[in-house]
Amino acid sequence: MTRSRDAVRPDLEQVFRADYPRVVAVAARVLGSRDEAEDVAQEVFIGFGRTSVPADEASRWLSVAAAHTALNHLRSGRRRAAREQAAPTDHVTPDVADDVVTRDERSRVRAALARLPRTQAVALVLRHSGLSYADVAAALDLSPGSVGTTVRRAEAALRKELIRHASA
Amino acid sequence: MRLLEHRSAQRHHPGDGVLRRLVDEPAGVPDADRAHVAGCPACLAGLAEARADAAATATALSAEGSTDVDLAWRRFSAAAPAPVHAVAPAPARRRHRLMRSPLVAAVGVVVVLGGAGAAAAGDWLQIFRTEQVAPVQVQTADLVSLPDLSDYGDLQVVSEPDVHPVADAAAAEQETGLDVPEVATLPAGVTGDPQYLVGGQVVAEFTFSAAKAAQAAAAAGEPLPPMPAGLDGSRFRLVAGPGVAATWGESHGIPALVVGRAQAPTAFSSGVPFDTARDYLLSLPGLPDDLAAQLRTFAGDGSTLPLPIPAQFATSSSTQVDGHPATVVATRDGSVTGVVWVSDGVVTAVAGSLTEDEVVGVAEGLR
Repeated sequence: MTRSRDAVRPDLEQVFRADYPRVVAVAARVLGSRDEAEDVAQEVFIGFGRTSVPADEASRWLSVAAAHTALNHLRSGRRRAAREQAAPTDHVTPDVADDVVTRDERSRVRAALARLPRTQAVALVLRHSGLSYADVAAALDLSPGSVGTTVRRAEAALRKELIRHASA
Repeated sequence: MRLLEHRSAQRHHPGDGVLRRLVDEPAGVPDADRAHVAGCPACLAGLAEARADAAATATALSAEGSTDVDLAWRRFSAAAPAPVHAVAPAPARRRHRLMRSPLVAAVGVVVVLGGAGAAAAGDWLQIFRTEQVAPVQVQTADLVSLPDLSDYGDLQVVSEPDVHPVADAAAAEQETGLDVPEVATLPAGVTGDPQYLVGGQVVAEFTFSAAKAAQAAAAAGEPLPPMPAGLDGSRFRLVAGPGVAATWGESHGIPALVVGRAQAPTAFSSGVPFDTARDYLLSLPGLPDDLAAQLRTFAGDGSTLPLPIPAQFATSSSTQVDGHPATVVATRDGSVTGVVWVSDGVVTAVAGSLTEDEVVGVAEGLR
């Protein structure tokens, strides 16, 4: 693999240790599975290792990359399908998230997320991951005033999807 | 009715976005808006609704759990065995990584379609890449509508390949620095000496522009996907060639036999990670969904190259040449068959008015 010959940024381990849990959390909100989220996080840090993003912008960069990468995985469905085939035991060791949302509901949430316009989906996930309105605005090149509107629309759309399916 | 009267009496109801921010970042909301909402039943109702939706979303997106950072770091280090304390990336290394990316192919296709001026025999060589060539079937209409990257930034051909004939193989070798392939045994019906064409390097630079991309998206009537941080202004430089082609018995525009060889394209970026740039390019309005999906599958190991083949006119299949994975391309009318493979960063192709067995035979017999 050429990766072994790729040089990486010297502060990678430090940033990894500081931000890995946050990156997993962002991806897990999108994917509903911490296992998958950890795969995404590894991918995100491989990409990050090759950048020269300033250290003080690393957290935001990583969060945005995690949201986008996880949404890409969600859209493609490749990882999920592969994992479900490879690890049938997943069903007997459910993620902790299952305590809160049933598996059925979880898949509806993912489907609804995948249907949202990308900006809404990313804004929603980043805000629910604890990024400030200002950070979300900067990350998505939105005006700070429109972040609330974008998040609100996403939440309303998500609620409609869940109610529609619940009453169906 | 009282509600309507109340609302009309207010000069200014803050929007949904402000109500949403009141839910979880009230300090960011101006005092005047907060004061208004506190005394406005309509806004309080809107606020309650926003609060309920936010809470429901928080529950739906909840994915609590613990993370073992030490374990994750060990996994990461094992998967990326690079010296993790190494210095910043050297351009050459970055170039090496990026030349395996479909992004480069996408740019390369644009260079070819944009009329870099190469001769017919050399045109398709420029979209080849290192390691492995894999076909992506696309409809002709898709080729035409492949996103012209000049709509998403500035595409500048820095140097054109200046394809021209040379006297013989020795001259071709001297000009290109490539080992000019020699055909051991010509297929039946192909006779005489070949004509040699050589081309120098083609260099193109592409600078991503958020403003241009937004314009293009607006023109396509579609929203521009949010741009990853750092992509705006990122530069990609593509260097392809030099290359050489030996042509036998050309008539009616179709050579009896062409043997081409070229240095595979190389490229580097100004820093945006490949995955980010690729995914973003794939999400741009104008790229057909089917093609995008096919391109996306090349991300798995990054070692394959999308080779757009017009599905209406050609079919493709896999074979091997001297142990290297190779792709056979045949026009549906049977007029042209070709085989292409990559070895040590050099692309070689054999094509002509021949059968698959004949082109593979010539390929296997190259010296």
